[in-house]
Amino acid sequence: MNCAAALPLISAFADGELDVLRGHSVRKHVAGCAACAAEYENIRLLSTRLRDEAPRFVASPALQSRVRAALHRAETEQPVGKPRRVAGTRSWFFGGAFAGCAATVLAWFMVTALLQWHASEDLVAEAVAMHVRATLGNHLIEIVSTDRHTVKPWLSARLDYSPPVQDLAEAGFALAGGRLDYLDGRPVAVLVYRYRLHMIDVFVRPETGHATPAALRTLRGFNVVHASGSGMEWLAVSDAGSDVLSPFLQQLAQGSASTASEAR
Amino acid sequence: MPESRFEELILPHLDAAYSLARWLARDGDDAEDVVQDACVRAIKYLDSLRGSEGRVWFLAIVRRAFYDWCERNRPAEILRNATEALDAAVDPAIGPERTLLRDADSLALTDALAALPLPYREALVLRELQELSYKEISRITDVPMGTVMSRIARARSLLQRSPLLQSMRDPLPRSSP
Repeated sequence: MNCAAALPLISAFADGELDVLRGHSVRKHVAGCAACAAEYENIRLLSTRLRDEAPRFVASPALQSRVRAALHRAETEQPVGKPRRVAGTRSWFFGGAFAGCAATVLAWFMVTALLQWHASEDLVAEAVAMHVRATLGNHLIEIVSTDRHTVKPWLSARLDYSPPVQDLAEAGFALAGGRLDYLDGRPVAVLVYRYRLHMIDVFVRPETGHATPAALRTLRGFNVVHASGSGMEWLAVSDAGSDVLSPFLQQLAQGSASTASEAR
Repeated sequence: MPESRFEELILPHLDAAYSLARWLARDGDDAEDVVQDACVRAIKYLDSLRGSEGRVWFLAIVRRAFYDWCERNRPAEILRNATEALDAAVDPAIGPERTLLRDADSLALTDALAALPLPYREALVLRELQELSYKEISRITDVPMGTVMSRIARARSLLQRSPLLQSMRDPLPRSSP
Protein backbone atom coordinates (compact mmCIF):
# COMPACT_ATOMS: atom_id res chain seq x y z
CA MET A 1 0.00 0.00 0.00
CA ASN A 2 1.32 3.46 -0.90
CA CYS A 3 0.60 6.88 0.63
CA ALA A 4 -2.10 7.76 -1.88
CA ALA A 5 -4.05 4.66 -0.91
CA ALA A 6 -3.31 4.88 2.80
CA LEU A 7 -3.95 8.57 3.51
CA PRO A 8 -7.73 8.59 3.02
CA LEU A 9 -8.02 5.55 5.29
CA ILE A 10 -5.95 6.81 8.21
CA SER A 11 -8.89 8.61 9.81
CA ALA A 12 -11.01 5.46 9.89
CA PHE A 13 -7.97 3.45 10.94
CA ALA A 14 -7.47 5.75 13.94
CA ASP A 15 -11.11 5.13 14.87
CA GLY A 16 -10.60 1.36 14.65
CA GLU A 17 -13.32 1.25 12.00
CA LEU A 18 -11.45 -0.41 9.12
CA ASP A 19 -12.09 -4.01 8.25
CA VAL A 20 -9.34 -6.46 9.19
CA LEU A 21 -7.76 -6.61 5.77
CA ARG A 22 -7.48 -2.89 5.12
CA GLY A 23 -6.65 -2.23 8.77
CA HIS A 24 -3.70 -4.55 8.44
CA SER A 25 -2.45 -2.88 5.25
CA VAL A 26 -2.71 0.60 6.75
CA ARG A 27 -0.98 -0.47 9.94
CA LYS A 28 1.89 -1.87 7.92
CA HIS A 29 2.19 1.25 5.81
CA VAL A 30 2.04 3.65 8.78
CA ALA A 31 4.77 1.70 10.54
CA GLY A 32 7.14 2.33 7.67
CA CYS A 33 6.14 5.83 6.49
CA ALA A 34 7.03 8.90 8.55
CA ALA A 35 4.56 11.21 6.80
CA CYS A 36 1.60 8.90 7.30
CA ALA A 37 2.66 8.15 10.87
CA ALA A 38 2.62 11.90 11.55
CA GLU A 39 -0.84 12.20 9.99
CA TYR A 40 -2.04 9.32 12.17
CA GLU A 41 -0.59 11.02 15.26
CA ASN A 42 -2.25 14.32 14.29
CA ILE A 43 -5.64 12.66 13.96
CA ARG A 44 -5.24 10.95 17.32
CA LEU A 45 -4.32 14.25 18.96
CA LEU A 46 -7.20 16.10 17.32
CA SER A 47 -9.54 13.40 18.54
CA THR A 48 -8.23 13.57 22.10
CA ARG A 49 -8.41 17.33 22.15
CA LEU A 50 -11.97 17.40 20.83
CA ARG A 51 -13.09 14.89 23.44
CA ASP A 52 -11.33 16.77 26.22
CA GLU A 53 -11.98 20.34 25.24
CA ALA A 54 -15.10 20.74 23.11
CA PRO A 55 -18.10 21.31 25.38
CA ARG A 56 -20.83 18.73 25.74
CA PHE A 57 -23.90 20.75 26.49
CA VAL A 58 -26.33 19.82 29.20
CA ALA A 59 -30.10 20.20 29.09
CA SER A 60 -31.23 23.06 31.32
CA PRO A 61 -33.81 22.53 34.07
CA ALA A 62 -36.17 24.67 31.97
CA LEU A 63 -35.85 22.24 29.06
CA GLN A 64 -36.41 19.29 31.36
CA SER A 65 -39.60 20.92 32.59
CA ARG A 66 -40.70 21.55 29.02
CA VAL A 67 -40.11 17.94 28.12
CA ARG A 68 -41.96 16.69 31.15
CA ALA A 69 -44.82 19.04 30.35
CA ALA A 70 -44.92 17.67 26.81
CA LEU A 71 -44.93 14.17 28.20
CA HIS A 72 -47.75 15.04 30.50
CA ARG A 73 -49.77 16.54 27.66
CA ALA A 74 -49.22 13.42 25.59
CA GLU A 75 -50.49 11.34 28.49
CA THR A 76 -53.64 13.35 29.00
CA GLU A 77 -54.62 13.94 25.37
CA GLN A 78 -54.42 10.49 23.94
CA PRO A 79 -54.29 9.72 21.15
CA VAL A 80 -51.58 12.21 20.41
CA GLY A 81 -52.42 14.44 17.50
CA LYS A 82 -50.01 15.72 14.93
CA PRO A 83 -47.60 18.03 16.72
CA ARG A 84 -48.82 21.55 16.21
CA ARG A 85 -46.60 23.66 14.08
CA VAL A 86 -46.73 27.27 15.07
CA ALA A 87 -44.75 29.86 13.16
CA GLY A 88 -43.12 31.24 16.26
CA THR A 89 -42.04 28.04 17.91
CA ARG A 90 -41.58 29.66 21.26
CA SER A 91 -45.26 30.62 21.59
CA TRP A 92 -46.26 27.00 22.20
CA PHE A 93 -43.88 26.97 25.06
CA PHE A 94 -45.51 29.92 26.74
CA GLY A 95 -48.94 28.52 25.88
CA GLY A 96 -48.47 25.33 27.81
CA ALA A 97 -45.83 26.49 30.19
CA PHE A 98 -47.99 27.43 33.12
CA ALA A 99 -50.15 24.35 33.20
CA GLY A 100 -47.13 22.30 32.33
CA CYS A 101 -45.06 23.64 35.19
CA ALA A 102 -47.85 23.10 37.67
CA ALA A 103 -48.30 19.54 36.47
CA THR A 104 -44.57 18.97 36.58
CA VAL A 105 -44.25 20.23 40.11
CA LEU A 106 -47.15 18.08 41.23
CA ALA A 107 -45.77 15.04 39.45
CA TRP A 108 -42.38 15.78 40.90
CA PHE A 109 -43.65 15.75 44.46
CA MET A 110 -45.57 12.57 43.87
CA VAL A 111 -42.57 10.86 42.35
CA THR A 112 -40.30 12.07 45.13
CA ALA A 113 -42.71 10.94 47.81
CA LEU A 114 -43.02 7.59 46.12
CA LEU A 115 -39.26 7.25 45.83
CA GLN A 116 -38.81 8.09 49.48
CA TRP A 117 -41.39 5.55 50.52
CA HIS A 118 -39.57 2.90 48.54
CA ALA A 119 -36.23 4.03 49.89
CA SER A 120 -37.09 3.35 53.48
CA GLU A 121 -37.40 -0.31 52.72
CA ASP A 122 -34.48 -0.81 50.43
CA LEU A 123 -31.01 0.65 50.44
CA VAL A 124 -30.52 -0.11 46.77
CA ALA A 125 -33.72 1.60 45.76
CA GLU A 126 -32.70 4.56 47.86
CA ALA A 127 -29.30 4.83 46.22
CA VAL A 128 -30.85 4.65 42.75
CA ALA A 129 -33.38 7.31 43.72
CA MET A 130 -30.55 9.56 44.91
CA HIS A 131 -28.68 9.01 41.69
CA VAL A 132 -31.72 9.76 39.55
CA ARG A 133 -32.65 12.82 41.55
CA ALA A 134 -29.10 14.14 41.42
CA THR A 135 -28.91 13.54 37.69
CA LEU A 136 -32.28 15.09 36.87
CA GLY A 137 -31.81 18.06 39.14
CA ASN A 138 -28.25 18.70 37.99
CA HIS A 139 -27.00 18.38 41.57
CA LEU A 140 -24.74 15.49 40.73
CA ILE A 141 -21.61 17.25 41.89
CA GLU A 142 -21.25 19.71 44.74
CA ILE A 143 -17.49 19.84 44.77
CA VAL A 144 -16.19 19.80 41.22
CA SER A 145 -12.66 18.56 41.13
CA THR A 146 -10.60 15.90 39.48
CA ASP A 147 -8.10 16.08 42.32
CA ARG A 148 -8.70 13.59 45.11
CA HIS A 149 -6.76 15.82 47.49
CA THR A 150 -9.48 18.43 47.04
CA VAL A 151 -12.47 16.11 47.14
CA LYS A 152 -11.40 14.15 50.21
CA PRO A 153 -10.93 17.08 52.63
CA TRP A 154 -14.16 18.62 51.38
CA LEU A 155 -16.04 15.45 52.26
CA SER A 156 -14.33 14.71 55.56
CA ALA A 157 -14.98 18.28 56.71
CA ARG A 158 -18.70 17.55 56.40
CA LEU A 159 -18.84 13.99 57.73
CA ASP A 160 -17.76 12.12 60.83
CA TYR A 161 -15.62 9.81 58.72
CA SER A 162 -13.10 10.25 55.96
CA PRO A 163 -13.85 8.26 52.83
CA PRO A 164 -10.90 6.99 50.79
CA VAL A 165 -10.82 8.84 47.47
CA GLN A 166 -9.00 7.51 44.45
CA ASP A 167 -8.65 8.75 40.92
CA LEU A 168 -8.81 5.89 38.44
CA ALA A 169 -8.49 8.06 35.34
CA GLU A 170 -5.89 5.73 33.89
CA ALA A 171 -8.43 2.94 33.87
CA GLY A 172 -10.93 5.25 32.17
CA PHE A 173 -12.76 6.27 35.33
CA ALA A 174 -12.05 9.95 35.82
CA LEU A 175 -12.91 11.45 39.17
CA ALA A 176 -15.39 14.26 38.49
CA GLY A 177 -16.12 15.39 42.03
CA GLY A 178 -18.21 14.56 45.04
CA ARG A 179 -21.30 15.48 46.98
CA LEU A 180 -23.12 14.76 50.19
CA ASP A 181 -26.30 12.77 50.17
CA TYR A 182 -28.49 10.92 52.64
CA LEU A 183 -28.61 7.16 52.73
CA ASP A 184 -30.38 5.19 55.38
CA GLY A 185 -31.11 8.41 57.29
CA ARG A 186 -27.47 9.38 57.59
CA PRO A 187 -25.28 11.74 55.59
CA VAL A 188 -23.10 9.80 53.20
CA ALA A 189 -20.18 10.62 50.91
CA VAL A 190 -20.81 10.28 47.21
CA LEU A 191 -17.88 10.15 44.81
CA VAL A 192 -18.79 10.94 41.24
CA TYR A 193 -16.85 9.35 38.42
CA ARG A 194 -17.12 9.74 34.71
CA TYR A 195 -16.76 6.71 32.47
CA ARG A 196 -17.11 7.63 28.80
CA LEU A 197 -20.57 9.17 28.71
CA HIS A 198 -21.75 7.52 31.91
CA MET A 199 -21.82 9.11 35.30
CA ILE A 200 -21.12 6.79 38.20
CA ASP A 201 -22.21 7.57 41.75
CA VAL A 202 -20.21 5.76 44.42
CA PHE A 203 -21.74 5.88 47.89
CA VAL A 204 -19.16 5.29 50.61
CA ARG A 205 -19.89 4.82 54.29
CA PRO A 206 -18.31 3.00 57.23
CA GLU A 207 -19.32 -0.65 57.40
CA THR A 208 -22.48 -1.04 59.43
CA GLY A 209 -22.47 -4.79 59.94
CA HIS A 210 -26.13 -4.90 58.89
CA ALA A 211 -27.40 -7.16 56.19
CA THR A 212 -25.73 -6.15 52.95
CA PRO A 213 -27.50 -6.06 49.62
CA ALA A 214 -26.64 -8.55 46.90
CA ALA A 215 -23.43 -7.78 45.04
CA LEU A 216 -25.28 -6.83 41.90
CA ARG A 217 -28.76 -5.57 41.14
CA THR A 218 -30.52 -3.84 38.31
CA LEU A 219 -33.23 -1.42 39.14
CA ARG A 220 -35.16 0.70 36.66
CA GLY A 221 -32.38 0.31 34.13
CA PHE A 222 -29.62 1.32 36.53
CA ASN A 223 -26.97 -1.11 37.64
CA VAL A 224 -26.16 -1.18 41.32
CA VAL A 225 -22.99 -2.88 42.56
CA HIS A 226 -22.10 -3.46 46.18
CA ALA A 227 -18.72 -4.17 47.75
CA SER A 228 -16.90 -4.01 51.09
CA GLY A 229 -13.31 -3.11 51.69
CA SER A 230 -11.03 -0.82 53.65
CA GLY A 231 -13.52 -0.74 56.49
CA MET A 232 -16.09 0.86 54.21
CA GLU A 233 -19.22 -0.18 52.44
CA TRP A 234 -19.31 0.76 48.75
CA LEU A 235 -22.32 1.12 46.51
CA ALA A 236 -21.98 2.13 42.88
CA VAL A 237 -25.00 3.29 40.85
CA SER A 238 -24.83 3.98 37.16
CA ASP A 239 -26.31 3.34 33.76
CA ALA A 240 -22.93 1.93 32.77
CA GLY A 241 -22.82 -1.84 32.26
CA SER A 242 -22.34 -4.08 35.27
CA ASP A 243 -19.37 -5.74 33.56
CA VAL A 244 -17.67 -2.38 33.78
CA LEU A 245 -19.04 -1.38 37.14
CA SER A 246 -18.10 -4.45 39.20
CA PRO A 247 -14.33 -4.49 38.58
CA PHE A 248 -14.26 -0.71 39.01
CA LEU A 249 -15.87 -0.88 42.44
CA GLN A 250 -13.73 -3.81 43.50
CA GLN A 251 -10.67 -1.79 42.61
CA LEU A 252 -11.94 1.17 44.63
CA ALA A 253 -12.77 -0.97 47.64
CA GLN A 254 -9.54 -2.95 47.65
CA GLY A 255 -7.10 -0.48 46.18
CA SER A 256 -8.04 2.09 48.74
CA ALA A 257 -6.37 -0.01 51.43
CA SER A 258 -3.00 1.09 50.14
CA THR A 259 -3.89 4.75 49.76
CA ALA A 260 -6.02 5.15 52.86
CA SER A 261 -3.15 5.86 55.20
CA GLU A 262 -1.50 8.27 52.83
CA ALA A 263 -4.68 10.04 51.85
CA ARG A 264 -5.77 11.56 55.10
CA MET B 1 -47.62 2.90 29.78
CA PRO B 2 -45.86 5.22 27.34
CA GLU B 3 -44.91 7.64 30.12
CA SER B 4 -42.75 5.23 32.06
CA ARG B 5 -41.23 3.82 28.87
CA PHE B 6 -40.32 7.31 27.80
CA GLU B 7 -38.79 8.08 31.18
CA GLU B 8 -36.83 4.89 31.14
CA LEU B 9 -35.64 4.83 27.55
CA ILE B 10 -35.49 8.42 26.40
CA LEU B 11 -35.07 10.80 29.33
CA PRO B 12 -31.61 9.47 30.26
CA HIS B 13 -30.45 10.69 26.85
CA LEU B 14 -31.81 14.22 27.16
CA ASP B 15 -28.36 15.73 27.68
CA ALA B 16 -26.97 13.86 24.68
CA ALA B 17 -29.94 15.07 22.62
CA TYR B 18 -29.50 18.65 23.70
CA SER B 19 -25.77 18.57 23.09
CA LEU B 20 -26.28 17.29 19.55
CA ALA B 21 -29.03 19.83 18.82
CA ARG B 22 -26.84 22.55 20.22
CA TRP B 23 -23.91 21.64 18.00
CA LEU B 24 -26.18 21.45 14.96
CA ALA B 25 -28.16 24.63 15.61
CA ARG B 26 -25.30 26.50 17.28
CA ASP B 27 -27.77 28.32 19.47
CA GLY B 28 -29.13 27.41 22.88
CA ASP B 29 -32.76 28.52 22.48
CA ASP B 30 -33.09 26.99 19.03
CA ALA B 31 -31.57 23.75 20.31
CA GLU B 32 -34.19 23.63 23.09
CA ASP B 33 -36.98 24.04 20.54
CA VAL B 34 -35.50 21.24 18.47
CA VAL B 35 -35.22 18.89 21.45
CA GLN B 36 -38.75 19.69 22.56
CA ASP B 37 -40.03 18.88 19.07
CA ALA B 38 -37.95 15.69 19.06
CA CYS B 39 -39.47 14.63 22.38
CA VAL B 40 -42.99 15.11 21.06
CA ARG B 41 -42.10 12.91 18.09
CA ALA B 42 -40.38 10.36 20.28
CA ILE B 43 -43.45 10.04 22.49
CA LYS B 44 -45.59 9.57 19.41
CA TYR B 45 -43.40 6.92 17.82
CA LEU B 46 -42.21 5.22 20.98
CA ASP B 47 -43.82 1.97 19.88
CA SER B 48 -41.38 1.70 16.98
CA LEU B 49 -38.41 1.61 19.38
CA ARG B 50 -37.13 -1.92 19.78
CA GLY B 51 -34.47 -3.17 22.12
CA SER B 52 -31.90 -1.11 23.92
CA GLU B 53 -30.91 1.28 21.17
CA GLY B 54 -32.63 4.22 22.85
CA ARG B 55 -29.85 6.73 22.41
CA VAL B 56 -29.25 6.10 18.70
CA TRP B 57 -32.97 6.01 18.01
CA PHE B 58 -33.57 9.27 19.87
CA LEU B 59 -30.57 11.05 18.34
CA ALA B 60 -31.83 10.15 14.87
CA ILE B 61 -35.14 11.81 15.78
CA VAL B 62 -33.34 14.85 17.16
CA ARG B 63 -31.39 15.19 13.94
CA ARG B 64 -34.52 14.86 11.82
CA ALA B 65 -36.25 17.44 14.00
CA PHE B 66 -33.32 19.77 13.50
CA TYR B 67 -33.44 19.50 9.72
CA ASP B 68 -37.18 20.13 9.69
CA TRP B 69 -36.72 23.07 12.01
CA CYS B 70 -33.94 24.35 9.78
CA GLU B 71 -36.15 24.15 6.71
CA ARG B 72 -38.73 26.34 8.41
CA ASN B 73 -36.39 28.80 10.10
CA ARG B 74 -33.08 28.83 8.27
CA PRO B 75 -33.71 27.51 4.76
CA ALA B 76 -30.58 29.27 3.54
CA GLU B 77 -28.38 27.06 5.66
CA ILE B 78 -29.62 23.85 4.11
CA LEU B 79 -29.46 25.30 0.64
CA ARG B 80 -25.92 26.48 1.17
CA ASN B 81 -24.85 23.09 2.38
CA ALA B 82 -26.54 21.38 -0.52
CA THR B 83 -25.23 23.51 -3.33
CA GLU B 84 -21.89 25.01 -2.44
CA ALA B 85 -18.55 23.36 -2.72
CA LEU B 86 -18.37 22.26 0.87
CA ASP B 87 -14.64 21.88 0.98
CA ALA B 88 -13.95 25.57 0.87
CA ALA B 89 -16.86 26.67 2.97
CA VAL B 90 -16.45 27.77 6.53
CA ASP B 91 -19.70 29.00 7.94
CA PRO B 92 -19.83 32.25 9.82
CA ALA B 93 -20.08 30.49 13.10
CA ILE B 94 -22.04 31.55 16.07
CA GLY B 95 -19.61 30.51 18.74
CA PRO B 96 -21.14 28.25 21.36
CA GLU B 97 -20.98 29.02 25.02
CA ARG B 98 -17.54 30.23 25.86
CA THR B 99 -17.66 30.22 29.61
CA LEU B 100 -17.15 26.48 29.73
CA LEU B 101 -13.89 26.60 27.94
CA ARG B 102 -10.52 26.42 29.46
CA ASP B 103 -8.37 28.67 27.32
CA ALA B 104 -7.85 30.34 23.99
CA ASP B 105 -6.70 27.17 22.26
CA SER B 106 -9.79 25.29 23.34
CA LEU B 107 -11.89 28.23 22.26
CA ALA B 108 -10.32 28.22 18.81
CA LEU B 109 -10.82 24.48 18.51
CA THR B 110 -14.47 24.75 19.52
CA ASP B 111 -15.09 27.62 17.12
CA ALA B 112 -13.42 25.69 14.33
CA LEU B 113 -15.63 22.67 14.99
CA ALA B 114 -18.71 24.88 15.09
CA ALA B 115 -17.69 26.43 11.78
CA LEU B 116 -17.54 23.14 9.89
CA PRO B 117 -20.23 22.70 7.24
CA LEU B 118 -23.22 20.84 8.59
CA PRO B 119 -22.67 17.31 7.17
CA TYR B 120 -19.10 17.23 8.41
CA ARG B 121 -19.93 18.85 11.72
CA GLU B 122 -22.66 16.39 12.55
CA ALA B 123 -20.53 13.38 11.62
CA LEU B 124 -17.57 14.51 13.71
CA VAL B 125 -19.70 15.61 16.68
CA LEU B 126 -21.43 12.22 16.72
CA ARG B 127 -18.07 10.50 16.56
CA GLU B 128 -16.03 12.51 19.06
CA LEU B 129 -18.57 13.97 21.45
CA GLN B 130 -21.18 11.21 21.44
CA GLU B 131 -18.54 8.51 20.94
CA LEU B 132 -20.64 6.54 18.50
CA SER B 133 -19.48 3.92 16.02
CA TYR B 134 -19.60 4.51 12.26
CA LYS B 135 -22.49 2.09 12.05
CA GLU B 136 -24.51 4.03 14.61
CA ILE B 137 -23.66 7.32 12.90
CA SER B 138 -24.74 5.83 9.60
CA ARG B 139 -28.12 4.99 11.12
CA ILE B 140 -28.56 8.41 12.67
CA THR B 141 -27.55 10.43 9.64
CA ASP B 142 -29.19 8.05 7.18
CA VAL B 143 -26.19 7.69 4.86
CA PRO B 144 -24.05 4.62 4.04
CA MET B 145 -21.05 3.67 6.19
CA GLY B 146 -18.65 4.67 3.40
CA THR B 147 -20.09 8.18 3.41
CA VAL B 148 -19.73 8.38 7.18
CA MET B 149 -16.12 7.34 6.83
CA SER B 150 -15.30 9.93 4.20
CA ARG B 151 -17.22 12.70 5.97
CA ILE B 152 -15.34 12.13 9.21
CA ALA B 153 -12.01 12.05 7.38
CA ARG B 154 -12.94 15.23 5.52
CA ALA B 155 -14.12 16.92 8.72
CA ARG B 156 -10.81 16.19 10.39
CA SER B 157 -8.79 17.43 7.48
CA LEU B 158 -10.90 20.63 7.29
CA LEU B 159 -10.46 21.14 10.99
CA GLN B 160 -6.71 20.71 10.79
CA ARG B 161 -6.53 23.30 8.05
CA SER B 162 -9.10 25.65 9.58
CA PRO B 163 -8.08 29.31 9.52
CA LEU B 164 -9.46 29.53 13.06
CA LEU B 165 -6.71 27.20 14.21
CA GLN B 166 -3.97 28.83 12.18
CA SER B 167 -3.45 31.57 14.74
CA MET B 168 -2.12 28.96 17.09
CA ARG B 169 1.57 28.48 16.54
CA ASP B 170 1.30 24.79 17.07
CA PRO B 171 -2.10 23.88 15.69
CA LEU B 172 -2.43 20.41 17.07
CA PRO B 173 0.43 18.92 19.03
CA ARG B 174 -0.54 20.14 22.43
CA SER B 175 -0.63 16.86 24.15
CA SER B 176 -2.38 16.75 27.46
CA PRO B 177 -0.37 15.17 30.25
